[in-house]
Amino acid sequence: MEPFNFPTIFSVTESEIDLNDLLAKITLTTTGAAAIFTGMVRGETNRGDAHITDYLEYEAYIPMAEEKMKQVADEIRAKWPIVEGIAIVQRIGKLYPKTPTTLIACTAAHRDTGVFDAARYGIDRLKEIVPVWKKEIGPDGTEWVEGDYIPKPGE
Amino acid sequence: MNHIKLLFFATIRDRAGVKSLEMDIPVDMTIEDLKDKLSIDYPNLKESMKSVLMTINREYAFDEAVVPSNAEIGMFPPVSGG
Repeated sequence: MEPFNFPTIFSVTESEIDLNDLLAKITLTTTGAAAIFTGMVRGETNRGDAHITDYLEYEAYIPMAEEKMKQVADEIRAKWPIVEGIAIVQRIGKLYPKTPTTLIACTAAHRDTGVFDAARYGIDRLKEIVPVWKKEIGPDGTEWVEGDYIPKPGE
Repeated sequence: MNHIKLLFFATIRDRAGVKSLEMDIPVDMTIEDLKDKLSIDYPNLKESMKSVLMTINREYAFDEAVVPSNAEIGMFPPVSGG
């Protein structure tokens, strides 16, 4: 059973993502490891369709996005019960290259507990089911970035 | 008739030209029926109906689902956050 004091943080925000603050909130006295993934705006893309990005504009269906982040956290806890704290954050608005846009962090007692996999799962699921979209603005114009995942019943 | 609220996001909002709409629909209307109705009432949306994701009260919903009264219906393309 999940102890009642395991913190779960999920939010969609227009504010800067404060890693130190989030990390402090998901660190318990029993915590000895944190796996943190953060994604940022890439100004220069070289893989695949090479292009320059001036900025991205993110929007979200905020109440649903926060509910789905909670669902992702619940899925992480079901798969990796050793995970102690979970933080899932998506920043929205106009964001420029090098700016962190999302953060997924999981903490555990030790690093060999699956905590890296838990954070990886978190960002993969966020990109599948959390309703957030980005529009890319570059020298060649403006384009919505479309995902390719079709949620299944129950997701 | 059931009163519902539609919320549009990303490409769907751009094509609809509005962020939201309210409308009355027949009691037994399914998600599939609603998409057909929107394709007729709002021709700009017709092309989007093939790939649109639909939600009922913030849960993903599929063609056979019946739209309940006072539902909040979300309509958007596959997500691209992160």
